[in-house]
Amino acid sequence: MVLPRVSRLVYRNFKVNTDPASLVILVGLPAMYLVFFGFGFGDLLFIAPGLMAFQSVMAGTVGGGMLWADRRYGMLAQLLVGPFSRLDYLLGIMLTTVIFGLAGAVVMYAVAFALLHGVYISPLGWGSVVVTITVGSLFFGALMLILSALVKSNNTYNSIQILVLFFINFASTVFYPNTPRLPVILQVLFRVNPLSYIANLVRAGFDGTLVPVDLFYLIGLLTGTVILVVLATRTYMRSDISYT
Amino acid sequence: MHQNTSDAINAVSLVHSYDGKKNAVDGMTFNVRRGEVFGVLGRNGAGKSTLIKVLTTLIRPTAGKLTILGMDPSHKSEEIRARIGVVQQDESFDFTSVEGNFDIYGVLWGIPKAVRIERRERLLKEFDLLEIRKKRSFDLSGGQKRRAQVAREFMHDMDILFLDEPTVGLDVIMRRNLLDLIKEQVKGGLTVVFTTHNLEEADYLCDRIAVVESGKVIALDTVENLKRLYGGKKTVEFAVEGSSGIELVRAVEQSLDGESTLKVLNDGTALVLTEDPKKALRVVVEASQKLGVQLEWLNVRKNTLEDVFLSSIGEQRSGN
Repeated sequence: MVLPRVSRLVYRNFKVNTDPASLVILVGLPAMYLVFFGFGFGDLLFIAPGLMAFQSVMAGTVGGGMLWADRRYGMLAQLLVGPFSRLDYLLGIMLTTVIFGLAGAVVMYAVAFALLHGVYISPLGWGSVVVTITVGSLFFGALMLILSALVKSNNTYNSIQILVLFFINFASTVFYPNTPRLPVILQVLFRVNPLSYIANLVRAGFDGTLVPVDLFYLIGLLTGTVILVVLATRTYMRSDISYT
Repeated sequence: MHQNTSDAINAVSLVHSYDGKKNAVDGMTFNVRRGEVFGVLGRNGAGKSTLIKVLTTLIRPTAGKLTILGMDPSHKSEEIRARIGVVQQDESFDFTSVEGNFDIYGVLWGIPKAVRIERRERLLKEFDLLEIRKKRSFDLSGGQKRRAQVAREFMHDMDILFLDEPTVGLDVIMRRNLLDLIKEQVKGGLTVVFTTHNLEEADYLCDRIAVVESGKVIALDTVENLKRLYGGKKTVEFAVEGSSGIELVRAVEQSLDGESTLKVLNDGTALVLTEDPKKALRVVVEASQKLGVQLEWLNVRKNTLEDVFLSSIGEQRSGN
């Protein structure tokens, strides 16, 4: 059976990005966060959904990293002189990013389930988690794709990514809540950080505390994601594919 | 140029400019016949890689008319790409083993599993890659990488294969080895477009050659016809020990007729391209005797592609 073109690209993306070292980083690292932060702060029920949300960031970095590596190591040009269009390639990355995000969240849930001796999430809660992580993965995937499409030097790419991820990860409600005790600047960063909204939505689904206002947050997140995906698509479609 | 629908590629006044000011491809007109190995020969920066990018639909021509397999790339680029193979000048591998790269490439091209395995095993064997099949692609030597990259392209069926300087960076033995492997693979009548700046390679592999310079095709024919064209000529070579060679070269140059041309290579060897080698030999011998210079060696030979290349580049420059 011959798979559709985008599915073939997704297959390839998984084969290339699921070597043991990559899996340790993608899944092992957040799992360790869960164990250390969860037991360290004694609040696994808070950290667990936060780290499920955090998977959308990890997935986004995988998506951006794929474009970056393919440009740098010649595979983007090789694919684009093959049976794929630029749009196929982009869809392949986006789909891979979403699957990575969802799979990572399920793994985090499984670890939390084992550590907490069972956690129940309602069907509505799961629906909220799946939708939020899908949208979140696309948001961060698009952000990292823009970075990958624009930057030409490896050092610049890594430096910007580390800086952006530092603020996104630690100025969010993934690891601790936004409380009035935090410095004002951090409170503002928490509020403008999309990861905070992703973490809050996943947490609400996880805890079964969803309220109508969460729908507005989700719509806001979705709007931001659409804008970023459009920008990423335009930037990528116009970018140099570095084929000499 | 007459458009022949049986041509694999037909380009008429093809132009591509990256910046709208300077044309990297500057009005190239040529055709590639089905089943031939077509060489694009030129120095670095002559426009070969840009031409390949245009022909493989990676970039669009700025002007001119182009058909590939009878299709217009501006409307049918996906259909064209599904029927061509491209080996880029730069390496392009996924982060996995050699055989993993072959497998993934087969999947990408939609090759059924049984066929994929059969082709992978055959190509690994034919390109002498069996021993390194488990090695990661990025850990291979330069020669192994090139072999693997060329071999991988044969995982899928194609009507035209583009090889963009596939032997660059390889030593003489590896280069010949790879050319033999390519020659073996294309025996069945595959159309090949092969860019190189190496004259021996073009001579060894190609049925016809386009010599390109500054984005233009400055000569196009079979290797033999090109040699005859810049020719019916033969080359008289000579070298002299010590510093007296310059005087001899000057004396020979003054005595030659207008149809003969003299070039001095970096190693001091002087070449006289002439239609009358007997006369040229006489001129060299008489001049050396007159100057009392001892010739280190003197030789007459047929023109090589290198002579053709030097002549055509020289004519292009003087024409400009």
